Amino acid sequence: MSVQRAVVLIGSAKPAGTSTSEALGQYLRARLQEHGVATTVLFVDRSLKSLANQALTAALAEADLFVLTAPVYIDSLPYLVTRTLEDLARSARPGRSPCAFAAVVNCGFPEAGQCRTALDIVRAFARRARFNWAGGLALGEGGVVDGQSLETLGGLTKHVRTALDRTAAELAEGRTVPAAAVEQFSRRLIPGRVYTFMGNLGWRRRAKRNGVSSALDAKPFELAAGK
Amino acid sequence: MRALVLNGALAGDEGLGPIEEAVTSDLVASGWTVERVQLRDVFIAYCKGCFDCWVKTPGICATRDDAGVVTRALARSDLVTLLSPITFGGYSSELKKALDRSIGIVSPFFMRLDGEVHHQPRYSRYPALLGIGVSEDRDPDEAQIFARLVARNAINFHAPAHAVCLLSRDDSPEQMQTAIGRAVTQVTTRRGVA
Repeated sequence: MSVQRAVVLIGSAKPAGTSTSEALGQYLRARLQEHGVATTVLFVDRSLKSLANQALTAALAEADLFVLTAPVYIDSLPYLVTRTLEDLARSARPGRSPCAFAAVVNCGFPEAGQCRTALDIVRAFARRARFNWAGGLALGEGGVVDGQSLETLGGLTKHVRTALDRTAAELAEGRTVPAAAVEQFSRRLIPGRVYTFMGNLGWRRRAKRNGVSSALDAKPFELAAGK
Repeated sequence: MRALVLNGALAGDEGLGPIEEAVTSDLVASGWTVERVQLRDVFIAYCKGCFDCWVKTPGICATRDDAGVVTRALARSDLVTLLSPITFGGYSSELKKALDRSIGIVSPFFMRLDGEVHHQPRYSRYPALLGIGVSEDRDPDEAQIFARLVARNAINFHAPAHAVCLLSRDDSPEQMQTAIGRAVTQVTTRRGVA
């Protein structure tokens, strides 16, 4: 059964156009569109004015595929995503027509495996909220993408794009994320040692721009000895 | 010895109150000084992912609200209790909001630890972690995810020890007290402060 309408929810708190989650979500949206799936991109509600995310709920009522793209914060999903999922699960109705749910998560460590707990959480959400779990993709070294479009990054993200191409093709046909795409997506963008070296260099450069190079190791909450 | 209890109950959920009381009384009886925070009653904005707490105001989030108080208490504690309804295997949004804002307690710089990359410690000592997850229906999959999440957090927060206590809302007060007492003993013994 082919999918007609999809919703891609970007789960990053960063401003539009600056997050890895958005870069991944926008790429997947374009591929789903190529397969004839009318795809809406929404962002997690940053306004905090309404617990019920009405635009998301309304879009999901018409969708037969829901894809979440999100960063991993401290081994799980960020607050804004967690709150959104709580709201969705609360409003889940038993009689709702079946909707597939897939997730694409990324973390700032080299190992994609550090996304595992976050993926398990979204899988558990799918069951609670009565979505049909269609599988998940995990990406390490999210800092390499850093909000840039995957095409801009050329060969660095070729395997990521291929994995998303395969995933879009399967999801569009109402099938699950293929195992080959899961493996391909999780491969390193650059060697881990290069990533950590560049990452550490990047922190130092940002600190220097902010004039706090000598304070990077500050311990503002350290207790005095003997306290 | 300082203990911090973070209660992640959502609005309208009064079921975690007795559990917070039970863990507090257990710790006080063992000589701990306990600070408690009902997270839904304090104002904490969500983490914007800007990393200013690493590269602009190192160790302190640039957003000034009650998260600063929680992070300070967390950094100065010997034991932190994360009390939460099990939410798809994870923490509630209330608890997650506070934890997201606390990443300044570690350094931005990377290090290898047991074959994985993590952030270096900022401080010379960190609190042990006790995760107390409260389930609606004893779902085994979610319980397993919760236990792994606490264990993973213990690695990333450089906790010297951790323990997990899984409770169900229909547990009797006696069952809860017993399970909490066992978990407190477990985590404090592992940490060497029993």
